Amino acid sequence: MPEENRMKTFLEAAGRSGAKTVFCSSPAQAVSYLRDHSGGSILLPSFSSSRRLGLAGLLRDAGCEVIDSDFRRQSAAAAAGLTGVNFAFAETGTLVLESTEEPVRLATTLPERHFALLDPRKIFPDARSAAPVLRQLQSGTRHFVAFVTGPSRTADIERVLTIGVHGPREVHILLLEGLSDDPLEM
Amino acid sequence: MKKVRMQEYKQRIDNALSTPRLQEALHRFGDAWAKAREDAFLGLDFEALRAEIAGCKDEVRRHRERYLSEFIRNAENAGARVVRARNAEEACRYITELARERGVRTAVKSKSMVSEEIHLNKALEEAGVRPVETDLGEWIVQLAGERPSHMVMPAIHMFRQEVAELFGQVTGQPEPPDIAHLVQLARNQLRGAFIEAEMGISGANIAVAETGGLVLLTNEGNARLVATLPKIHVALVGIEKLAPSLEDALRIIQVLPKSATGQPITSYVTWIGGAVPCGEGDKELHIVLLDNGRSALAESPRCRDALRCIRCGACANVCPVYQTVGGHVFGHVYIGAIGIVLTAFYHGLDGAAEIVRACIGCRSCVSVCPAGIDLEDIILHLREVIAGEEGIGAGKSVVFKKIMRNRRLFHGMLRTAAILQKPVTRGERTIRHLPLFFSGLTEWRTLPAIADTPLRDSWTKLPQKVENPKARVAFFAGCLNDFVYPELGEDLVTVLNRLGAEVIFPEEQSCCGVPASYSGDRETASEMAEQNVRALLSEKPDYVVTTCPTCTMALQRDFVEHLKDNPVWAEKARRLSEITFDVSRLITDKLGGAEVFQGSGGDLTTYHDSCHLKRGAGVWREPRRLLAASGRELTEMAHADRCCGFGGSYSFASHPAVARRILEDKLTDIEASDAKCVAMDCPGCLLQIRGGLEKKESPIRAAHTIELLADTFRR
Repeated sequence: MPEENRMKTFLEAAGRSGAKTVFCSSPAQAVSYLRDHSGGSILLPSFSSSRRLGLAGLLRDAGCEVIDSDFRRQSAAAAAGLTGVNFAFAETGTLVLESTEEPVRLATTLPERHFALLDPRKIFPDARSAAPVLRQLQSGTRHFVAFVTGPSRTADIERVLTIGVHGPREVHILLLEGLSDDPLEM
Repeated sequence: MKKVRMQEYKQRIDNALSTPRLQEALHRFGDAWAKAREDAFLGLDFEALRAEIAGCKDEVRRHRERYLSEFIRNAENAGARVVRARNAEEACRYITELARERGVRTAVKSKSMVSEEIHLNKALEEAGVRPVETDLGEWIVQLAGERPSHMVMPAIHMFRQEVAELFGQVTGQPEPPDIAHLVQLARNQLRGAFIEAEMGISGANIAVAETGGLVLLTNEGNARLVATLPKIHVALVGIEKLAPSLEDALRIIQVLPKSATGQPITSYVTWIGGAVPCGEGDKELHIVLLDNGRSALAESPRCRDALRCIRCGACANVCPVYQTVGGHVFGHVYIGAIGIVLTAFYHGLDGAAEIVRACIGCRSCVSVCPAGIDLEDIILHLREVIAGEEGIGAGKSVVFKKIMRNRRLFHGMLRTAAILQKPVTRGERTIRHLPLFFSGLTEWRTLPAIADTPLRDSWTKLPQKVENPKARVAFFAGCLNDFVYPELGEDLVTVLNRLGAEVIFPEEQSCCGVPASYSGDRETASEMAEQNVRALLSEKPDYVVTTCPTCTMALQRDFVEHLKDNPVWAEKARRLSEITFDVSRLITDKLGGAEVFQGSGGDLTTYHDSCHLKRGAGVWREPRRLLAASGRELTEMAHADRCCGFGGSYSFASHPAVARRILEDKLTDIEASDAKCVAMDCPGCLLQIRGGLEKKESPIRAAHTIELLADTFRR
């Protein structure tokens, strides 16, 4: 799949899954998007690209309320979770998040909104083509790897599709070049 | 015991049939699912994908001890505690004792069919632990005190008003029957349970031997919370869920959501390996590997393919019987076609004895199964096993063993019946009413009379109009053609003569034996196979032709299977199989093709695919091609390949009320097509559909394809 088609496929599939996709030309643009859409406090677990960018500081400077410690106690009240993405699959619009550290899991399960920062260079055509990387992510003795495709959904009452039952109601994918080209890090 | 069980089963059928809303819901779901599934598999090679799944699952079955030890070793290295439970009791005991030791008061659960299988909730409650189902459908079913009626959509039988009432009991105030509101309410109510619970219990869709990890596919996100928030996570896993490698797991992930809900992928696919961090410390992960009949299933050569099942529920979604009665009738814990097999091995034959008869044999499930399981074949085998345990009933036993095996006696009795029916038929070809307790059978369809002269008696008087025949074709008529619709035989001769073939009727042929094997009497079926192979081959035909697809399947497939261990007959049965064709394929492939007909100006016609022709013999394009060539304008009805509800004795004896409802669906589709004529290639379907149309006094003509083709030469 050529690079250009891959992005097109990813955007279409992510859209079909109910996720929003936003191109950001700079970290500052991503921060202002987060400020405008978070709807309240943001859970920010620690991950490589966030540390490199100094995201916590940038968000606080922009006036956001950031929770980056004591996740268990504070996550229930948070409006949003912000994470990176290890890599993605174009075919299905899927995000892959190495979630062994508990704060990543809390930030992507409990709040109503999940913001995911994805470097466009880390989009694989499909799951099968990413198998070797997936294997590396699971080669540690313990692991928790999450594929996330769109928001939480159910059709359990009269088969009517309803968004946001136990997990996030909104998934925003912020595409930002230069975060990381290493699928092993978030 | 058996009598009470049968009565209760019949009562459940009657209850389901008197709930039209249920049928409407299941039909609507079936239609929407079929479309979504088709879209999801678009551009993919379904046959190749299911062959891969079957291959992976068969590999695990053959070497299950090796993969089990590999899985256990890797999971334990990652910090999981793994236990093997031989049965439901051992699994429940381990979990309840663990809960007691750790002082667990509340356990949050995500969807697990294994938990249903072992009745874990009951065991937890008895141990003083409050189990809270968190999958929305499961929670609804739990609040209602019921069991899931579908493996993927547990509450598919319920409606928003009922859900609102149940939720109102939880909140202590009236709740509006608004779905978005009800979903939000479930989110809020269950959040508390997630935070409070000391234990999370989940199933697993896949256990990866290579990594010792588990894979869970969900849409709601509850399994992620079950696996994250409580300190203890118990995963209940049937040992058939093993996959050798990560690539195998990816294959299952690629296929399962497409087949289950028509989604390209579920919202969440979660890979969990070992004791991940949890709060200040590490998670306690307990993996309970359950056998409970799976090893026995693996040892059964006729049934073991059922272990390939990935629990997508597709077999129920396409099943006309499931759509008519739902999973509380057609199921035990596991529902639909796969449910019959799993119930027999996991819960015992007694639980399966009634539902094993519920299958109408249409093979829809076989055509959609993403693991390539021939469910119908396994179900037929289970009927034999249950017949061996309980008998097939004295009446059937006499008919099959004493009468059917003796051709002269069997045919003599049919001739006698043709005379005895006179007071009912009043000399007509159609029976519109039957007296007394048989009257139910003609309430919804007329029945054809047995012909005064069966085809076999008039055959020598049928002129063969063909000089220098290019082929000698033996006609295997089957009972319905021979004794009920002899005129179809005449039509066949007319058409095949015109195509340059001579048609012979080997007189020693008899019933194909399918009625016996469908009732679980394989011995009679094998005897009939031998009689027919002898009769048909003795005339040294170039081809054998049938006008009944069930007979086609018997000659092409069943005879070979029945006689495969018979040194005298195995090779002959294979030879017969090779030269047997249904009439449409014989014409298109062997006798010159559709071009011969070149007709025009026929009625607008719709085609009904007979189950055994399309899904048994793989023939569906051929008759359409022939009808079009004969000048008929074709229009497709909706659900053209859905069963008409005939099913042989299914519509006469075992499930007439279900058969009637399935026929109603078919007639609705036929009428909606606006066709003036409905064509089909099966005398059984003809009996059912023509009978239903006649009873409604519909002007639509129901006809066998051969009848319509013969018309073109008569015109």
